[in-house]
Order: sequence, then structure tokens, then C-alpha cells
Amino acid sequence: MRYQCEWIQRLLRIGSEYGGMLLGLVIAAGLFGLPALVFGADVAPAAPTEYRDVPYVGSRNVIWVVAQLHLLLAGFVLGVPMFAWVCEVVAWRGGEKRYDKLAKEFTKLLTSAYATTALFGGILLFLLISFYPKLMNYLTDIFFPSFILYCILFLAETAVLYLYWYGWDAMQGGGKKTFHIFLGFMLNFFAFFIMIVPNSWATFQASPVVIAEGTDMARAWAATWNPTWWPVNIHRIIANVVLGGYICGAYAGIRYLSAKTPEERDHYDWMGYVGNFIGVFGLLSLPFAGYWLMREIYQYNQQMGITLMGGFLSWLFILQAMLIGVLFLGSNYYFWLGITYRIPGSALKYRKPMLAMLVVLLLCLAVWMTPHSLVASLEEAAKMGGTHHPLLGVLGVMSAKMTVSNLMILVTFMSFIMYWRAGKQDTAGWARIAKAIMGAVLVLAGIGVIILGVWGYFVPAIIRINYFSTSQVLIVIGVMLTITPLTALLLKSAKTTTEMVWGKMPPRAGYSLVLNAIMVILLMTLMGYARSSSRVHWHVYGVVRDTSQYAFSPALGYASGIMSLCTFLFCMLVAFIFWVATMSDKAKATTEQKKVELPHGMPAMAGASSALDKPNAH
Amino acid sequence: MSEVVRLQLICLSVVGCGILILLFIKSVFPRVIGFVAIVLGIFMLTALAVPQMASLPPVEEKFDIATVKTPTDMAAIGQKIFFSKGQCALCHTIGPSESARCPDLKGIGAKLSREFLYESLTQPQAYIYKDYRHEGVPKEYPAQMPAINKNPIGLSRNEILSVIAFLQQMSGEPISIKPSELEVPGSPAAPGKAAQSSPIAVAQAH
Repeated sequence: MRYQCEWIQRLLRIGSEYGGMLLGLVIAAGLFGLPALVFGADVAPAAPTEYRDVPYVGSRNVIWVVAQLHLLLAGFVLGVPMFAWVCEVVAWRGGEKRYDKLAKEFTKLLTSAYATTALFGGILLFLLISFYPKLMNYLTDIFFPSFILYCILFLAETAVLYLYWYGWDAMQGGGKKTFHIFLGFMLNFFAFFIMIVPNSWATFQASPVVIAEGTDMARAWAATWNPTWWPVNIHRIIANVVLGGYICGAYAGIRYLSAKTPEERDHYDWMGYVGNFIGVFGLLSLPFAGYWLMREIYQYNQQMGITLMGGFLSWLFILQAMLIGVLFLGSNYYFWLGITYRIPGSALKYRKPMLAMLVVLLLCLAVWMTPHSLVASLEEAAKMGGTHHPLLGVLGVMSAKMTVSNLMILVTFMSFIMYWRAGKQDTAGWARIAKAIMGAVLVLAGIGVIILGVWGYFVPAIIRINYFSTSQVLIVIGVMLTITPLTALLLKSAKTTTEMVWGKMPPRAGYSLVLNAIMVILLMTLMGYARSSSRVHWHVYGVVRDTSQYAFSPALGYASGIMSLCTFLFCMLVAFIFWVATMSDKAKATTEQKKVELPHGMPAMAGASSALDKPNAH
Repeated sequence: MSEVVRLQLICLSVVGCGILILLFIKSVFPRVIGFVAIVLGIFMLTALAVPQMASLPPVEEKFDIATVKTPTDMAAIGQKIFFSKGQCALCHTIGPSESARCPDLKGIGAKLSREFLYESLTQPQAYIYKDYRHEGVPKEYPAQMPAINKNPIGLSRNEILSVIAFLQQMSGEPISIKPSELEVPGSPAAPGKAAQSSPIAVAQAH
């Protein structure tokens, strides 16, 4: 096994030494291979080629998989720096070294993950130019200035990333650490712009703004600032945080399951907790951003909104409800396992609230998954008086779904608060009043959300959308903004009655973390299909029509196969990245073990400090 | 064997493989892969259990002028366009419905003149109640009717006239549009996107 690793490391060393030459060979092979596509091209020498195809597989499927993998990797690469930087700041301000170690552990992934993302981006670009030359020509004509900007941003991001990662150990003390934190901020700053520039290309296709006159810059700017650009930007940035958090959790879960020593179990149990916490933190705000995006889509084009929510894609939202429901259940389950196993003695105390929360979550999920109209035969429809079930039809409408989604967010938030408070005893004199206020706020908020939901049935849709649904969202945000600081203040003076014990979680906790990550990835692939399908038979909605043989959106069953394939491939890619990135650690650990076994110490190698890599550094 | 059944069998095989891995393999990483396979398989099975609807591009109605002999022929073409390329039924209903998002079009051909209908279809903001329910304050977030002679729907003048003929027919009104009013493709009077050209000329045609 060791020889195998050495062999792989030698291969990787060769790869890094001759990386440039190998890359050149790959590009040359790609360029020489491109003419092969001609075999699949329509033979039309007189007119310019509009589309090319790949026999058997289909060009659309190839683009679908590559684009989805690129997007998932990009989400990961943009989510991880946010996650790492926040952890580094927490370690810097709070003095807890284990957060710094966690941040470093994830930044280490960035260099290889960044290269893989760029590689898929390059492949995607080549394929788009080859398969959709007419569309790419049109988009290039409009977005040429932002292509230049994108290249500059990439250069800046790469430079900052190298400084950030390779300077980690060298910039640990005093002012240097402050500069390192600043580099982390700049890394996220450039990453944000790297995300929003291509977002403008994608959102332009769904909600184009085309002006015939003006300079190149004016046309590009008008096309960039299209109606769905900012809603998608905000939605994606939150989704990237969620993805980064849950992937971190899944990684920790797998490492926890295969941990050999108690130190490893402690560390990866704690890492799973942090990953799940960050994932849930983003998840709670994600539905609000999604709601805003859908609202903007309706405002831009009612037909597109109806195609999404009431047309052939309406069943997709039942699948979405299922995935989000499982994600909420998985996240809460992990919190409950944490209360049961990490805080001895709490299981009995919190059993009833946990059971109540489970029942509420399951009921909410059942309502959210209720379809508005049913697939029924003519006879069944006649008996029901239409395609709407007399009872279930009432639960399938938006008023009910908005209500239960808000209730699920409230329950998940309370799970987190419960976990936070477990094993601590309030000592502040005003604790009883604070707890009464928090209880009252929660109960009133729950009642308010339900009243608005029921009332929503009796008012015109426009009143419900503009005032009632918005009020429900504001109520839930209000609860979070009231209870979080109050709890933090209470816990500041609280006495710890039971110390948290790490490394005692059962194996199913690790699997629940993996499940959560899979749900998030599937959700991203599902909504990518929804966004693309909402354009129906248009490349650029209402402007450039898709005249290829693939100008249709496949049914959900077929699409779910591609989504699952993308999810699986992405998981394998991430696993490979993690494996490559941690390979040197394992080799280092083996060397250190040998050093300990030797009677005389070996001379230390110059370079990066390994102090933080020791398992008990925290 | 239908495509759905074939896909379901593939999904069941994926889930089965996952279960076998979990049962017989002890290494952590393959077990996690088995677990992921089960989750993905169940997801695909669920997606195959819901109605399988593909979104096909609208069928271009062949508007062979030579086959249109009577106003009823026009109304028949208009009916097809109403439910397909025109996407009218996406928002409008014919007869009251719980799920109606936009005005009920039952009897609309009797209530409104053909000129008004043409203008409503091609210049929807020219004269329209913002709140079609005609109650309360006007909507701040109006359900705006798109100009159907422009993209993404982009009906031609002949297609719009056929839709109006259908609306009149289903309202029990005599169809006031004659086949002779249709533009013959390629004739000097027929521009490429005919409907965008001159709604006023159409309105004045009778």
C-alpha cells in the first residue's frame, strides 16, 4: 500500500515538474481532436454551421453534464474560501487554533479544486464554441467587454489564492496575520465578481435586455443588468455557502467513520458539527432568496413564471419540496443526535421537544409535497369535480406551502437554539424574563405565520404575494434576530453543567452528513434544469430561438438520471480532490511516526511549520 | 418495454447494488458510495413516479391558404393555435375556473369587436383594465398580457385573425373574418412578420 502511494506521489511530482509540457500536450491533442467533431456536423457548406452534434450521446447531454459539473465545482470553489476565511477570522479574534487549522485544511483543497474548476470551464467553453457556434457568436458580440473583465478577475484571483495559501505559515504572527486576513478578504472579493460576471451571461439568456444602439460597453452593461441578475447573484452566493458547509460536513462524516484514533474522531466530529452549522445557517435564508428570484421572474415575464410554477415544470417543485424536506430533516436529526450523544444527560430532557419537532417537520413536509392538481382519469376527475382533490387541493396551493416552509425554518432554528443551550444553566438575574420573552416571540410568530397562511386563501393572489407572504418571511427573520442575540447574551454568563464530549456520535451521524450534502447537490442540479427549461425552446428567451433537434426539455424521469449522474461524478471529483490534497499529510504523519521511533532525532526540514497539523494542536 | 420502465429497472439495479455493498463490504469509502447509490436511485425512482411531461417546441401550424375555404376552417386553425403556439390557455380559461390567472374568455367574442380584440392582442397596454376583476384598487403588480405578435410567442397576422375567428365562434357569434382577408405568403401585401405591420389597417378592413 505504501509503495502504491509512493508510486502515485512520484507520478504527481512528475506531473508538477512537467505540468506545463503536459498541459500543452493536452491542449494540442484537444485542438487536433476538434476536427473530429466535423463528422457529427450538419453538412451545409454554403451556410454557416449553427449546431454540431455528438453521435449516440447527443451534444446537449454532453454540455449538460460538463456545465453542471463546472457549476458545482465553481460553487464549491467559491463557497470554501468564504467558509475558510470566516474560520480564520474566528481563530484570529477568538484565539482558538483549531479554527485556524480547519481553515487551512480547507484552503489546501482550493489549489487543486480551483485548477479542476478552471479545467472544466475550459472544456465547457470549447464545447460550446464547437456545438453552438451561432449562439456563442451572438453572446460574444454582446458580452465581449465582460469577457475581458472576467480574464482580469481570474488573474487577480489566482495571484491572491497563491499568496493566501503559500503564505499561510509565513504570515502567522502580528501584522502579518492581519495582512493574511486581508488576503483572504480579497480572495472572496474577487471570487464574488468571478461569480457574478458569468451569472450575467446565464441570466441574460432567461431575461434578456437588448439595446440596438450605443457603444459596446453600453450594450454589455444593459445586457448584464437584466431583471434576474441580482436575485440569482444573491441566491447563488447563499447556496455556495450552504454547499461549502455541507460538503465540509460530508468530508468530516466520512473521515469520522474511518477514524482510527480518538483524536481523529474528536477532530472530525467537531468538523462535522461546524460544517452542518454553516450549512444550516445558509439554508435558513436560502428560501427567502429563492422567493425573491421567483417574484422577479414573474414580474419580468408572467408566462415564464407560470411555465415554472404552474406549467410542465410544476411537478419539479414537488421533487424540490421532497429534497428540501429531507435536508431539513437530516440537519435537524444531526442536531438531535448531537444533543443525545455529545451532551450526556440531555437526551431525556429534550426527548419530548425533539419528538414534537419531528412531528411538525413531517406534517409540514407532507403539506409542501401535496400537488396542486392530480393526475386523474376522466372518470376520477369527474367524481372529484376537476383535477383538484376536494381536500388535498386546498393544501397544494402556495398559501399553504409558504406557511409550512416558514414553519420548517422556525423549527430548524429552534433545534439549533436547543442544541446551543443544552448542558448549560442560566445564571443571569433576568434569565426568566428573557426566556419568557423568547417563548412568547416564538409562539406568537408561529401563530402569526399560520393566521396569515389561512387568511391568504380569502384575499386576491396579489395581496397574498405582496403583503402576506412577505410578512411571513419578515416574522421568521424577526424571530431569528430577536432570539439569537438574547440567547448569546444569556449564555455569556451561563454555567456549563455538562461538558460537550466529542467523538461519541454513532456512525449514522456520519451518514446523515453525507445525505445532507447529496441533497444539496441534487437540489442544485434540479434547479439548474428548472432554470434552463424555463426558457423552453429559446437559447435567449424571445430573442434567439433554439432550432436544433434538442429544442425541447426532457421529462423529469430522464432529467433525474442526468442529475444523478452529475451528482455522482461531482462527489467522485471532490473525493479525488480531498484524497490528493491530504496525501502529503498522510506521508508526513508516517515520516513523523518513523522519526519518533528512531533513537536519534532526524534533522528537521526547512519550510512549512507542522505544529498546527498535530491532531492535538487544538 | 417503455422508456420509463427501462429507467425504473436501471434505478432498481442501482439501489440493489447499493444495498449489496452495504451488506457485504466493510471498508468505509465503498460503503459511502453504496449509500449514495441508494439515495440517488430512490431520487430517480421518485422522479419517474410523477407525470412524465416533456416540453416540446410549439408545432408550427401549416397555414395553407388554399385549404381555408370557410370562416369555420379559420376558427379550427385558431383553436389549435389558442392551445399550442399562442399559449393563450396557459393563463386564460374558457369558462370560470378556480385556477384562472387571467380573464375568463367565455363569450369574449360576443362582448368585444374584432378591432378591439386585435388591439388587445397586439397592443395589450393600449386600453386595458389593470385589474381585470374590476374591484378594489388597481393592481400594483399587474398580470400583463404580452404582445402576441412579438417574440417569444410571435403569431403572424393570419394566425391572429384565426384566433379571433375561434373566439367569435366559441362565443356563438357569426365569424366576421373572411378567408379572403388572409394574406398570401410571398404576395407584395404580405410582409414577413405580418402582424407587426399594421393593426390599424386590419381594423379598417371592415
